[in-house]
Amino acid sequence: MGAAALAAASRAHAQAPQAASAINIATIGEPGPLDPTLVTSDLISIITQHIFETLYTFDGSWQIRPLLAEGMPAVSEAAKVYSFKLRAGVHFHDGSPMGAKDVVASLQRWLEISPRGKQVAPYVDALAEVGPLEVKLTLKRPYAPLLALLAMNNGAAAIMPAAQAAAREMLKTYIGTGPYRFAEHKPDQYIRLARFDAYASPAGKADGYAGERRALIGELRFVPVPNPTTRVDGVLAGQYQFADSLPAEMLARLHGQTQVAPITVKPFGFPLMIFNNKTGPMANPLLRQAAQAALSCSDMLAAAFGDPSFFDAIGSIYTKATPYFDAPPKGDYNAADAKRAAALLKQAGYAKQPIRIMTSQQYDFLYKMSLVAQQNLMDAGFNVDLQVLDWATLLQKRGDAKAWEAFFTYHTFVPEPSLITIFNPAYPGWWDNAEKGAAMDAFNGEADPVRRVAAWKKLQGLFFSQAPAIKVGEFYNLAARSAKLTGYTVTPWPFFWNVRI
Amino acid sequence: MLRYLMRRIGGLIVVMLLVAVIVFIIARVVPGDPVAVMLGSSATPADVAALRTRLGLDQPLVVQFLIYLRQIVTGDLGQSLFLNRPVLQAMADRAELTALLTLMSAAIATLIGVPVGVISAVRRGTLLDQAATALSMFAASLPSFWVGLTLIEYLAVKMPWFPVAGWGDPGAGFGEHLHHLVLPAIALGLPNSALIIRFTRTAMLDVLGDDYVRTARAKGVGPMGVVVHHALRNALIPVLTVIGLTIATLIGGAIVTETVFGLPGVGNLIVSAVLRRDYPVIQGSLLVISGIYVLINLAVDLLYALVDPRVRF
Repeated sequence: MGAAALAAASRAHAQAPQAASAINIATIGEPGPLDPTLVTSDLISIITQHIFETLYTFDGSWQIRPLLAEGMPAVSEAAKVYSFKLRAGVHFHDGSPMGAKDVVASLQRWLEISPRGKQVAPYVDALAEVGPLEVKLTLKRPYAPLLALLAMNNGAAAIMPAAQAAAREMLKTYIGTGPYRFAEHKPDQYIRLARFDAYASPAGKADGYAGERRALIGELRFVPVPNPTTRVDGVLAGQYQFADSLPAEMLARLHGQTQVAPITVKPFGFPLMIFNNKTGPMANPLLRQAAQAALSCSDMLAAAFGDPSFFDAIGSIYTKATPYFDAPPKGDYNAADAKRAAALLKQAGYAKQPIRIMTSQQYDFLYKMSLVAQQNLMDAGFNVDLQVLDWATLLQKRGDAKAWEAFFTYHTFVPEPSLITIFNPAYPGWWDNAEKGAAMDAFNGEADPVRRVAAWKKLQGLFFSQAPAIKVGEFYNLAARSAKLTGYTVTPWPFFWNVRI
Repeated sequence: MLRYLMRRIGGLIVVMLLVAVIVFIIARVVPGDPVAVMLGSSATPADVAALRTRLGLDQPLVVQFLIYLRQIVTGDLGQSLFLNRPVLQAMADRAELTALLTLMSAAIATLIGVPVGVISAVRRGTLLDQAATALSMFAASLPSFWVGLTLIEYLAVKMPWFPVAGWGDPGAGFGEHLHHLVLPAIALGLPNSALIIRFTRTAMLDVLGDDYVRTARAKGVGPMGVVVHHALRNALIPVLTVIGLTIATLIGGAIVTETVFGLPGVGNLIVSAVLRRDYPVIQGSLLVISGIYVLINLAVDLLYALVDPRVRF
């Protein structure tokens, strides 16, 4: 009995909030305005997920779980009407209670301005309050990814007070329901989040982003540290308790340091070489297939990341641990077959038109893999014009279909395939044709999990046969935490509730 | 003196107007879109276009230029697209850090550069002179990022005497701010001392052979008195110019050091603004720095009269 009491006391101590505690989290740079709905950068998601919450979230197995909603929604038989009941007793950081009016206003903002919400908007027929804590969403036709999109913390359907949600431009105030409230932003210096004492946590055991959320640390400080070596030095010296996005070659410096624990984030992301499917030479599927045949993805990954523990040459868009894994047909990935590529070029009647490939040294791994790709493609007979641009220029130029034939980018792991940008016909690359459109509609309209996997396999099959882009492989993220920081859950978007120092 | 000052201020206004025009053109000619950077990689061209319209970035360049000119005339440098605050405030937030870092690194550069340059000139041709020359060449060839990273490794990680990076925790006092600037100031001051060493040495060699120095020696003035009171004072004019230019360069040129040490200074602000294409910040900060540069030049010219009685305006 004494031991049980001791254990209970110890558990109570471990879960007790640390009033005066604060941790410094070294991030890759200054994030800018903290609008979780309008902005889709990962850094914004990492920070704002502590301030804002969504109706749903993902657990450790990437299953959808309620967050501000009371439970999973009641869905009509035709899968067109969703009724969301909201948790009672949830308050915003300004002290006002969260209600259906706020949820409707927030979702309306999301549907109108968020790149994610705009994906859903064409399917939405009506959105209305049913009661003080109930909202009804009516669709024009079934849309299976709806809940996953509502659960994403990136381009998020963040719930905020109705008055704040009325803004259609960038948010200027940051009032949410999360375990931490916005306290101060000094650009290029820090963002300070303070524990929200009136926070109402969802019930259940903590699991991934789902379950109980406890703000055990008094203050979170997100500190922009653009230089990765400085981030490592800072965590080694104890100035930062967490350092995000470290180059793989820094792992050697972290080994054997008892005060620091290295973290490898798997899954994390995948680099993409996206072709211009709309205009120019690469709009010809034969040329895209030739490029697909020519590329050695394993060489590209090795050049980009070096240490094999930080990448895997996996062609399937989803990794083996997920139901969406489906290995590509042999020859459609990592073929490095210059002869077959040359034959396809001949069949296409390729007349050595320049293939302008845009890349950027601001993401060193993208630049390195683009050099290997350039050589692979030239060996096959392509006339490659590799354009090394700064990232801002690349982002601008990629919007102009006449300015390029291919560009390099990367995508962070997302639990729902519909969230992958290349499948959006409006995203640069403009992969849009009748066959793909029909496969996408079938996938989006299918709610049954088993049939949905089959529909995904058909869609992914088209990704390999039509080659709108090349998924180069999987890469993993290196981060580091202080050994004193306990209770940390490894995720692509690190969060700091339920952790203590 | 007053007429000279008025003439210089008139010239200053013309220079600033030209700078304003050139900065606007350069910022807009360079490709890249602030909205695309702001929205992130997942945004579609339609998302980017919609926000450009909301921010007024789709207006004709002439209209944008006229708005910009009107703002300058009223003392308003515009609103940062990315930082959610006025450009002047963003600069003011960084002014204390940049001023302190500039002064500390200029002081380090001067305290190394002037004595070593004087000793090198006085002991011309000796081993000491050769060592000073080698030191200045070595210091000049040191990349400031390497000096910074080395200092961090040894004086912040292995021996935790100084913080690795940043400007101190929220609520940090002046002493903590200074503590955070010691390593960056050394990293910046050391390479910049090389130029001062070379200029001081050359200027001292020029004056040490002059008649008035020989006369001073003949009058029985001691070696220290000759060097400090007679030679150094006259040699200071070119040295002052170099120190002034060094300070002006340091105000906006500490970019690499600020990045390595994660310091939210003006250099960092400009680089980030260029990478994000935050036009108002690029334009505003370059305008302010150009103004400071021109004012420092003017101040240095006026200082000549103080150190050299022959100079009259």
